[in-house]
Amino acid sequence: MTLLLGVGFAGSSVAAPGDTENGEQIYYKRCLACHGEDGDGLGPAAERLNPPPRDFSSGQYKIMSTAFDEMVPQDDDIFRMIAEGMPGTAMPGWSDILSQQEMWDLVAYIKVFAGYDEEEPGPLVDYGTQVASSPESIARGDELFHESDRCSECHGESGKGDAIKGLKDDNGERTWPRNLTKPWTFRGSNSPKDIYARVSAGIPGTQMPSFADPDSTKVLTIEDRWHVANYVESLAAGTERVNPDNTVIKAGRAEGGIPTSWDDPAWGSAPASTFMLVPQIIAKQRHFTPSNDTVTVRAVYDDEQIAILVEWDDRTRSIPGDEKAEKISNPDISEDSVAIQLPIEIPEGMEKPYFGMGDASHPVNIWQWKSGTAETSSSVHLMNGQGFEDIEQREADSIQVAATGAYNNGTWRVVFTRPLVTTETDKDIQFQEGVFIPIAFAAWDGSASEAGSQHTMTTWYWLSLQSSSGSRPFFIALLAALLVAGLLYFWVRSARPQ
Amino acid sequence: MKSLPKLLQLVLTIALIYVGFIVVFDYVLGQVIPASLLNMYMFFVVAGALAVFTFTEEGARELAAPLKALVEDPGKKSLRNIVFAAVLVAVAVFAYFRAVPSLEAPVELRTIHPAPPSSAKLYGKRYDLLTLENPYRHFEKEDPEQFNELVAEGSAIYIRNCQYCHGDKLDGKGPYAQGLNPVPLNFQDVGTIAQLQESYLFWRIATGGPGLPKEAAPWNSSMPIWQNFLSEEEIWKVILFLYDYTGQRPRSWEE
Repeated sequence: MTLLLGVGFAGSSVAAPGDTENGEQIYYKRCLACHGEDGDGLGPAAERLNPPPRDFSSGQYKIMSTAFDEMVPQDDDIFRMIAEGMPGTAMPGWSDILSQQEMWDLVAYIKVFAGYDEEEPGPLVDYGTQVASSPESIARGDELFHESDRCSECHGESGKGDAIKGLKDDNGERTWPRNLTKPWTFRGSNSPKDIYARVSAGIPGTQMPSFADPDSTKVLTIEDRWHVANYVESLAAGTERVNPDNTVIKAGRAEGGIPTSWDDPAWGSAPASTFMLVPQIIAKQRHFTPSNDTVTVRAVYDDEQIAILVEWDDRTRSIPGDEKAEKISNPDISEDSVAIQLPIEIPEGMEKPYFGMGDASHPVNIWQWKSGTAETSSSVHLMNGQGFEDIEQREADSIQVAATGAYNNGTWRVVFTRPLVTTETDKDIQFQEGVFIPIAFAAWDGSASEAGSQHTMTTWYWLSLQSSSGSRPFFIALLAALLVAGLLYFWVRSARPQ
Repeated sequence: MKSLPKLLQLVLTIALIYVGFIVVFDYVLGQVIPASLLNMYMFFVVAGALAVFTFTEEGARELAAPLKALVEDPGKKSLRNIVFAAVLVAVAVFAYFRAVPSLEAPVELRTIHPAPPSSAKLYGKRYDLLTLENPYRHFEKEDPEQFNELVAEGSAIYIRNCQYCHGDKLDGKGPYAQGLNPVPLNFQDVGTIAQLQESYLFWRIATGGPGLPKEAAPWNSSMPIWQNFLSEEEIWKVILFLYDYTGQRPRSWEE
């Protein structure tokens, strides 16, 4: 049994029991700033982190493999969180600078805050016999996931966490259901075994219940929980991931006009680039608790126009004035929104505009789409920026910047279009083929208190309109070969004995 | 080596150095070598190798012998035709790919630690960076208890403002580091704050990305202008914390 349940840490079971005194010293140096002197999660960082640092004194551990009706986690659970960290949060893994023994010392000390040093860990989740992932198991998991809205009630039809409920944890802190298509945000990995543990033990302190609880109307058998775990793991398959080497949006030439809606089949052949969104923490008012995390972009163009499709997962469709939307939202709902930033003058050398809305000598164009309210439809805005505090509002119609958006199962898709060239050449970017054009993005989740300067954004990436080079490279190749052939011919001729 | 023809030796030498560059940069240093830099290095390598191999007249002759034979010996006519055809194909392929527009993002080289100005205007005052010192540094020897308190205050400021990018461990791997270019500096690395004076850090923190000189690509840096958010005292405390946590020592003129 123990073998079957081992948490998978080489060496974790052989380490000597932790030393609380040494653990305390390490805690003071490494953990205090977030988790606080009393282990209550009220360190100086607390109010600027979401999720907030764990309160060890409450004794509540979210990510554990102890059965649902017990509170005391396994030592391995705590060790693992220290060693590997909590993906998607400010908690890093410490195994690169702390030794195994030091981390066990920390485990021993952290347990003291809730008096767990005097208690035995609760019984483990009953893992039964693992059901290996297979198309059949995934299909069964899919059924169970959606049956009577068992999981989709919070995690959404497509698992993107597009909530129909405003969720809060036991401390009244806003929580968002996990977007299950993005495994890198899972606090405890997306291996079926870890997902099984979450489904079985629930996530204490949050509204994620245990599906092993016989009193729950949604209870699942051991086997069924494995099917659900296999299904959830499979959800990541179609996800566009950030690839650090993919920094160029490659816009190809469209045959027969550019697509103007998100569901145009022409997008299918356009390569996607996915970029990380980071919160705006550079200028006042800073934003410390971001909602959206990545943005996926495609682009195509023809002789007249360019079209850019921007997609991002957003758990909430934010409609100010709509009762249902406001219920899910944080107080003060705003519209959802996305923006594209481009330099007015395409740089020839390295020098670009400042990535935060340009600078005095390098202005930028900003095209912003807003999702609309209960009373008004979506809108497009055009701005010229010369820094955070120097923004000129212009009429989007004047240069035919247009945008349409659609929200589907937790994902916004917005298509921007604009003519390649405009009449105001000193105020607008003039698109050219075959050059690298800096491009950046920003997004707002209006239900997560994002508005104005409080949003997520990317740094500069590149947009490239790939000119159809036609037959030119062939001619150049032919010419080069002929030239060399001539040289070789003369060499042979001159070398021939006279 | 005697048994290998000179020409083969030359080709092997150049090829080995080429592979060596890629191995050293891409795998040992973990930083892919930009094509333009590799081309420049290889130009000198080829020139150097040729100079060495043709240092003596005999060497030059030996080197050219197989080529000469190939062209002049009527018995090698069919081999010659094959070699020449291969050369032509290679030239054509090379020219073709040079002519097709590149899809690779431009390489952006930047100076990570640009030379500081001798003086800088910070907080509306002009500071001489050569003489500027951390006003709290002297407590380290004079009043360790007070010093530790200042470090703890620095830690609180750091965790509320800097960890998002530079990380809880000061290793430059904060939660948002991946989304930034250039990546946040790793203070644990001996090549960063250990090489710098405290006044340099004060200047870099106070004026942030936009305060960088052009060679350091200020338009890309996500470092905020901290004089807009933190007081001078707060910055000096953060600097104390950076050195204390990592165990590094600031560089000073005395050493």
